[in-house]
Amino acid sequence: MNGPDERKVKSLGELPVAIEPPRDLWPGIEARLKAPVATVAAVSPRPAGARLAQLRWLAAAAMVASVAVGVWIGREVLPLSGGAARAPQSATATALPASPEGAALNASYVSDPRYQRQRTELLRTLQARIEAMPPPARLKVTASLATIEHAKEDLERALGKDPSNALLQELLINTYQDEMRALTDVHEASDPGRGI
Amino acid sequence: MRTFFTLSAAVIALGASALSAAETYKPFDKQVAAQPRGIVEISNTSGSVEVTATDRPEVVVHGELGDGVERVDVTSEPDRTVIKVVLPSHSSRDGDAKLRVQVPKDSELHLATVSADASITGVLGVQRLNAVSGNVTTEIAGADLELKTVSGDVKVRGHGQAARLYVSTVSGDVHLDHGAGDLETSSVSGDLLLSLNSARSVHARTTSGDLRFEGKLTRGASFDAASVSGDLNVRASAEGGYAYEISTFSGDISNCFDARVDKKSVGQSLSGSRAEGAGHMRLKTMSGDIELCDRN
Repeated sequence: MNGPDERKVKSLGELPVAIEPPRDLWPGIEARLKAPVATVAAVSPRPAGARLAQLRWLAAAAMVASVAVGVWIGREVLPLSGGAARAPQSATATALPASPEGAALNASYVSDPRYQRQRTELLRTLQARIEAMPPPARLKVTASLATIEHAKEDLERALGKDPSNALLQELLINTYQDEMRALTDVHEASDPGRGI
Repeated sequence: MRTFFTLSAAVIALGASALSAAETYKPFDKQVAAQPRGIVEISNTSGSVEVTATDRPEVVVHGELGDGVERVDVTSEPDRTVIKVVLPSHSSRDGDAKLRVQVPKDSELHLATVSADASITGVLGVQRLNAVSGNVTTEIAGADLELKTVSGDVKVRGHGQAARLYVSTVSGDVHLDHGAGDLETSSVSGDLLLSLNSARSVHARTTSGDLRFEGKLTRGASFDAASVSGDLNVRASAEGGYAYEISTFSGDISNCFDARVDKKSVGQSLSGSRAEGAGHMRLKTMSGDIELCDRN
C-alpha cells in the first residue's frame, strides 16, 4: 500500500536521473579511512583472553596442518614399497592414548577409513595367522608385534609431553606404517597356497 | 638284577623312539628345458632349498623327500618353470624336502618357503624371495632383489653392481655385504648390518633393531635412516660430501668430525655439511643413540 505522498511510477522515464543524499557522506568516510589502527581497535575492542584463544586455535590448526602434511609425506613421498600395506593416514585413532595429552593429539589426526578397515581386519585374524606359523616363528613374531606396541606407547607418551615435536610425530607415523607392514607380512605368510 | 632290567628297558625304549623319529628320505630327480631368461618359481614348506646357476637352458631338480611329502610337481611352460613341493592335504606342514635346483643363470627367480632355509648362488636375474621362518642367503649381481622374511635371517652378498634392493623382515636380522645402488630395508626387531660399495639411496627403518652401515655414497646420494629405540651407527663417505640432519628425542648423538651437538632441554640435534654437501644424510631416533662418521 502506498503512502499519501507516494505516487505510482508508470515508466522509467518518470524517475529522476540522480538523487542527492540529504548530507555529504564523504568527510565521515575519509575520517574513518585516515584514523590510526589504535582507533579502530578502540572502536571494536577485543579482550586479551579472546585473542589468546584465537592464537591457540591458530596454533592447533597449524599443528593439524603440519601433521596432515607429515601423514601425506609418509604416505606418498616416503612409502616402503614391496607390496606392503598402505600407510595409515590416521596415526592413532584406534590406539589407546597413553595420556590425556596423547588423547588430545589423537583427536587431531585425520582419520582414514581405509586404514582403519584394513587394520581391524588384519587384527581380527592375527591370532589364527600366528598359530599357523612354525613354532619358532610364532614366538619371534609375537615378540616383534609387542615391540611395535611398546614403541607406539612410548612415542605417544613422549608426544603427550611434547605434542608439537615433529620428530616424534614422524617416528609415530613410521611406526604405524611398520605395524601395517608387519601385520600384512604375517597375514600373507600364513596364507595357504600363497606364501608371503 | 632289577637295575639291569630297568636299564635294558630304557635302552630298548630309546632305540625304538629313535627309530620311529628318524625320517627316511626318498630321492627325486627331474630335468626340464627352460628359456635362458625365463622365470623359475620354487616353493617348499620345510627342509631346504639350494639354487645354483648353470649356462645350460634347463632346470634340473634333485630332491630328498621326507615321509611327510606327497610329491614334487615340476611344470614347464615356455617362459616359466614351476617347482612345488606338495604336502598331503590336512598336513601339519612338517614334511621336509631338501631341494637342489639348477637354473639358467639369467633366470628370474621366485622363491617361497615357510620354515625351509634357502641359499642362492650365481643367479644373475631378478630375485623375489619370501620366507616365513626360514633363513635366506643369496648372492646378487646387477638385477633387482625383493626379499621378505617374517622371522628368518637374511644374508645378501653383492659384487658392487648397482641394483634396486628391497629387503624387509619382521624379526630377522639383515646382513648385506658389497651391495650397490638403491637400498630400501626395514625390520621391526631385527638388526640391519649393511655394507655398500656405492649407494645412490638408502632408506632404512627399524623399530627396536640396531642399524650399522658402512660404505660409500655416490655423489648427490640420499641416506635416510630412522629408528624408535634402536641405535644408528653410520660410517659413510661420499664423493662431494653431504649435508646432514640428525635428531634424537632422548638418545645421544656423536660424530667423528668434532661437530658440536646441539643439546636442548629435550633431545639433541646436529646439522651441518661435509665437503660440498652434495648428498643428504638424515638420521632420526626416539631413544636410540646415533653415531655418524664420514670416513670408512
